[in-house]
Order: sequence, then C-alpha cells, then structure tokens
Amino acid sequence: MKSFADYHPLVLFVYYLAVVSLTVFLLHPAIIIFSLLGAVVFFAFLVPVRPFSRDIVFYFFVFLLVAITNPIFVHKGETILFFLNDNPVTFEAIVYGIVVAAMLVAVIFWSKAYSILMTSDKFMYLFGKAIPKLSLVMSMALRFIPEFKAQIKKVNRAQKSIGLYTSDSITDRMLSSLRTFNSVLAWSFEHAIHQADAMKARGYGLKGRTNFFLFRWKRRDVTMFISISLLIVAIFWLIHRGVFAYNYYPALTAVEWSLEQLPQFAIVFLFMILPALIELKENLLWIYLKSTI
Amino acid sequence: MRKDLLVLAFIALLIAVIVNGTKIQSVEEYYLTHIDDITEDAETVFISIDAGAVLDNWDKLDPALRDEKYVPEDGVILEKTEYVLRPNDTVFDILLRTVRHNKIHMEYQGADENVFGSVYIQGINHLYEFSCGPLSGWMYSVNGEYPEYGVSRYVLEDGDEIEFKYTCDLGRDIGHEFTREEGRKIQR
Repeated sequence: MKSFADYHPLVLFVYYLAVVSLTVFLLHPAIIIFSLLGAVVFFAFLVPVRPFSRDIVFYFFVFLLVAITNPIFVHKGETILFFLNDNPVTFEAIVYGIVVAAMLVAVIFWSKAYSILMTSDKFMYLFGKAIPKLSLVMSMALRFIPEFKAQIKKVNRAQKSIGLYTSDSITDRMLSSLRTFNSVLAWSFEHAIHQADAMKARGYGLKGRTNFFLFRWKRRDVTMFISISLLIVAIFWLIHRGVFAYNYYPALTAVEWSLEQLPQFAIVFLFMILPALIELKENLLWIYLKSTI
Repeated sequence: MRKDLLVLAFIALLIAVIVNGTKIQSVEEYYLTHIDDITEDAETVFISIDAGAVLDNWDKLDPALRDEKYVPEDGVILEKTEYVLRPNDTVFDILLRTVRHNKIHMEYQGADENVFGSVYIQGINHLYEFSCGPLSGWMYSVNGEYPEYGVSRYVLEDGDEIEFKYTCDLGRDIGHEFTREEGRKIQR
C-alpha cells in the first residue's frame, strides 16, 4: 500500500528535498542513523519482501565497500589502531567511513522510495509549466535506469529463446551479458531521441496547450504541508543554534547526553520516520477494517 | 568450464599479489624506540617543529583543533633536537625519522603523487594545510633560508639546522617574503 503517495505532489517533493539535503549536509551520526532507519522502514512498506531483502543484501555490500575505503585512503585522526604500508589506520577514519556509507545508503533508499512515489506524471505536474524542457529531461533521466533494466531483461530473454548464451560457464555468461549491455546502450540513446521527438510532435511546451491532472489540493495536504514545514523550520533553528555540529577529525566530538537533547533529536527522528508512520497507520487501519467485516 | 578455472586462477593471483604487497604493523612496531647514537665523529643536523604562528591567528583556526594537544601553549611541537645525518639524507628522511622517534603524527603526499616530484608535508601533529585559513600550511627552512623546493629534494650537510614552521599567511608571518622573482625562478 502506498498511502504516503496519495498526498499532493508538492508535499512529497518538499519532503524529499528536505530529508535528502538534511541527510547529506548534517553529518551527525544520530541523524544519519535516524535517516537510514526512516528510509529503510519506509521502503519496506512499499515493496514486497523478496525484492526488499535482495536490496538489503546488495546495499549492505555497498555499505561495506564505502566504509572500508575511507580508512584506507584517509589517515587523519588521533587514535591510531595499526599501520598499513607505513600509513596509519585510525579509529576516527573508520567511524567517518561508516557514517558516510550509512549516509550514502540512506540517500539511495530515500531515492528508491522517491522513484516509486514521485512518478514522472507528478514531476511533470509540478514543473512542466515552469521549466518544460528541463523537467522533461529530468523525468527522462529518472526513468532511465528502470527502463534500461527492463530492456536488458527483454533482450536477454529474446536471445535465450533463440538458443544463445546458454553456456554453463560463468565467464561466458558474463561476457554475453556485456554484449547485451552494449546493444541496450545504443537502444537507449535512440529511445531518448524518439521520446523527445514524440513529445515535440504532440506540442509539448507550446503556448495554450492544456494538461489534465488528477491532483487536488485537499485538507489533509494542508495539514501535512504545515506540519512538515514546522518540523523543517524547527530543525533549521536547531542547526542554527549549533545543536547538530559534529567533528570527526582529529578526534570525535564527545557527546554529552542530557535530557535537554532528547526533544531536539526527537524532532529529527519524527521528521525522518514520518512516511513510515503514515504507512504503518494506514496498514493498521486496513487490518482493523478488515477484522470488522 | 576451463575458462572459469582460468579466471579463478587469475583472481587468486591478484589477491596473492595484493596480500603480499600489504604490510601491517602495530603502533609500537612503527614508532622507533631507538635511533642512531650520536658519536664524536658522526655528522649531525638539528631539527625543530614550531606552530607559533597559529597563536596569533587563533580565530582563523579550525574550531576542532583549538586545543593544547594540537597547538601547545608556546607553539613548540618539537624543540631543537640533534639527529645523526646518514649519507645523502634529505630533509624528508630526517623529518620522518624524527616524527617516528618522537611519536608525532605526520601525514605526507609521496613524491610520485604530485607534479613537483617531491614529497609534500600535508600535516604535522594534526595541523593540516588550510587548517588555519586558506593561506596556511607547513614550510621549512634550512639555516634560516626557505629553499622553495620540496623536502625530499634538499640534501643536507653536516651541522645544518632545519626548522619546520606552520604559516597562516603563505610564509609572510614566519619571516619569508615570497617575491615575484622567486616565483619566476620556480616556473623555469
């Protein structure tokens, strides 16, 4: 079920913009953890179990790769654990690598959820009038990867059905998938040109051309928009006060836990977990309604 | 299937080469506990490391570094110390031996990693280039003169006095005026 997707596209867009930029620019470990948690839980509501677990495994390896890379190339930091080829491997660099990897994975999961919710028609609805050319290019770029994957699958199946690429050898299979990749790359260039031409032929971006969209600004959109804006303003006020300042080099900032900080971090946590909460509420409601039948 | 085995063997070879090329040392192993003794006929040089210029530019310093651990109260990270000069030793060799002996943090860029063909000192004692404003970094002088070329290209002589100084203003605050003529000389 995708109940968060039922909100007005503007609400979704503002939320995503805020959540991704907060994740990227605030390198506070607690905020990164909140963001990762919010993104993964929300994504779990959107997709079935099997592709979800496959994604989790894949991005766990991405996480490991990024986390390991940082301490190998960055030698800043006070607490030296050991020396690798005469270069120090420090505790601070390892922590920073883990935080950056978590940030990267969180942004990837937010974006995956975003591509499910913000379909290209919603994007066009928001920006089609204001910046027609750029929004067309943007929506085509965002559609590129899923379309590319679908086409690769199609070509692969067609080739298999005529008896090609059925070798048992892993090397052979990898080389053959490389050939498929090549052909699909050429196809995607051509496809992009055709798409742009088709849009032009239909008069896209011309004056006086009208569009039909189903999106209405409802009351719940207003409440959602106001609550999201309030949370964003509160978070920016806290940033301005330096609550989320954190240093990794040369030594980690010592975090003093106090009761005063609890509401400050609770605001960020609430902001990050909001979509997952909405999905949870709708799911529970659905179960409840079913039980009353 | 034979192709798979070949690829597998190649990957195994690659891993073996990488493992063979890595050297893991513990902290105690890396830092030198013993260094060449100064005998009567040994050639020696003097070296000191100083970050006094930071004290005058405290407001420009990265807030994370505003601590006595990184910038001592008098700015002196290493007092003038005498070390044995081995034949053909450059300033870099002496510095590396010194920091390893005194357990001082130091990070450098190797001579093969930049266009100058010389080692570049990025940071000493967690004070890095640009830590104290956009014109800051480490400079060195030998016998009071700034050579204007890299540490690993300066071959030392007996009795030379090396000073590593942290500048916050391209050398002007530590007694070095970078003139236009010198800039031309370097370009040539």
